[in-house]
Parts: sequence; C-alpha cells; structure tokens
Amino acid sequence: MFRSLIASALLLLAACEPQGEPDIRLGNAWARPTAGQAPGAVYVSIANDGPAEDRLTGAFTDHAAMAMVHQNELVNGVARMRMAGEIRIPAGDQIDMVPGGTHIMLEGLRAPLKAGDEFELVLKFKEAGDQKVTVNVVKADAL
Amino acid sequence: MSLSRLRLLLWVVVGLAALGMIAFLWTQSAREQTASQTSMGTIGGPFTLTASDGRPFPSSRLNGKPAAIFFGFTHCPDVCPTTLARLAKLRRQLGQGDDALSIVFISVDPERDTPAEVANYMSLYDTPIVGLTGTPAQVEQVKKQFGIYSRKVEQPGGGYSVDHTAAVLLMDRNGQFVATISPEEGDQVALDKLKRITA
Repeated sequence: MFRSLIASALLLLAACEPQGEPDIRLGNAWARPTAGQAPGAVYVSIANDGPAEDRLTGAFTDHAAMAMVHQNELVNGVARMRMAGEIRIPAGDQIDMVPGGTHIMLEGLRAPLKAGDEFELVLKFKEAGDQKVTVNVVKADAL
Repeated sequence: MSLSRLRLLLWVVVGLAALGMIAFLWTQSAREQTASQTSMGTIGGPFTLTASDGRPFPSSRLNGKPAAIFFGFTHCPDVCPTTLARLAKLRRQLGQGDDALSIVFISVDPERDTPAEVANYMSLYDTPIVGLTGTPAQVEQVKKQFGIYSRKVEQPGGGYSVDHTAAVLLMDRNGQFVATISPEEGDQVALDKLKRITA
C-alpha cells in the first residue's frame, strides 16, 4: 500500500518535471554569393529532437562583423526586414529557414561570399548553448 | 494661477496633442497609400537612369521587348536575390531564350548603389540582367512613375535597410504596364503572366 503510494507519487513527479533537455541539430546551412560590401543571408534548418523547447537567441561567425537573426515580412506589398526576437524551437519540431522569411544576416563580411566557400556559423540557444554549423555558399542562380 | 485655470490649460494641451496625433496619422496613411493609388494607365513612361557601365540609360532601350522590372537595392541579402533568382528561373522555364524578356533591376538606394556596385551585384547571376541606378532625384522620379514605395530604415548596430515594394512590374513590348508578380503568388501564375507578355 505504502509502496504503491510512493510509486504513484514518483510517477506524478516525473510527469510534472520538465522532461529532459532540448536536443538541437543543425543542418542544410547555405548562403548565396555576395558582391562588394553587401551583406549576406544564411538559411539553416534547426531540428529539436529533445523533449523540451529551446529558443534561438542569436548568432555569430568569424566571417562577419555581425550576425543577426532577421525576419522578412510583407506588409501591404512592401518588403520589410527587421531583427527577429527569440525564435521558439518547440520540442520534437523542425524549422527550415527559406528565402523570403527568417534568415541570419551577415553584416560586414570579411570577404564577399563566393560559390564553393565554406565557413562556420555559431547559433546561440537559450538551453543548448552555442551550436556550430558549416555554411555552404551556393550560386544564386542554382535555385 | 488658480487650479481651474491650470486644469483648463492642461485640457488645451491634451486637445492640441490629440489634434497633432490625428494630423500625423493622416499624413502617414496618405503616404503609405501612394503606391496603391497610382492608376494602371499611368504606370511607367519614359525615364533616364544610369546603366551599370556608368553611361546614361534611356528607357527607350527597353523598347521592342517585354520587361520584368524589379526595384530593390544591392545591400538587400534576402528578398532581392530571391526575386532576381526567381525571375531568372522563370525566364529559363519560358524556354524562349534570354532575349525574349528583359529582367530589369532598378536601385531604390542610389546613395549606396553606384554603377560599379550594381555591376558587381548583377555579376552574381549567370544570366543577363539590366541593372540601373541614378541620382537620388532621378530614382525618386522613376519610383513615382512606377508607383513604387521605398523608405530607409535605420538598423540597430549601424547601417540601414530599405523597405520597398516587393512586386515585379511586367511591361509589354511597347512599355505599357500589364501586370505584377508578387512574392506570394505561385510560380505557375507568374509563368502564365510572362507567357502572355512574351507571346
């Protein structure tokens, strides 16, 4: 009797506890080539295989002075680009950034991005911390 | 000053602030509407800008060929390359060669977009694109002719971005406005429109 009470109490506790940690997996990171002083945009897929949500809070790379999470929106036919707030990555979900929406903008590139280039980008998550991904630069016309 | 006078004064201040607010909202909404108020028949017309080789570019050079005109800026990392790459892809899908349709990029950021910057930007594409810029006054005039809205927006951390009309304007062989392609519509709809102007 007493034992089963403890067992059920433990079960209840387990159900209430935040279950484990987010498990962030990055993939398919790419950017188009750039010219001159123009900034670049990186698109990346973020999967959360863990049982708890996480948040993308920022980004940085050695390759650019600044990396910012940006969001594009279309308001009355006008394209506007703004800083995105924290981006929620729900448990068991995946976010695929595609052109025209959310992207990581690279301002002050060390050198213009050329097709075939590869560089490292770090995404910062609230729970999972810094996560590294390799970005491939692919020709603008290839899409 | 008596309390009732002070109260009256405060009410006057509140009233003036409210009036100011109304006037502000009024002018704001009037400005935002200019793009949609341009009527179809008046979109386009002759203009002169600067080509990416630095020479003057009269719009008559576009005559005789349908054109897809997009207003953007070279420091635009997402929407502009996406739109230009999409137009290049659609022109390929048309299957009539690069000569069947001019793809035209006009800068709405003439301060930063020198002809050389525009030439650099255009070289990112494996397909001919007519890249144009001009003096701020010239660009302002062309924006007006084509009903294009754009506005500089300061960015946190320095620099600026430009909000701008996202639609592509389709003109026929005679420079008459026919239709737009918006980023929201599917490729098939866009392709049908291009087929119509290149038929």
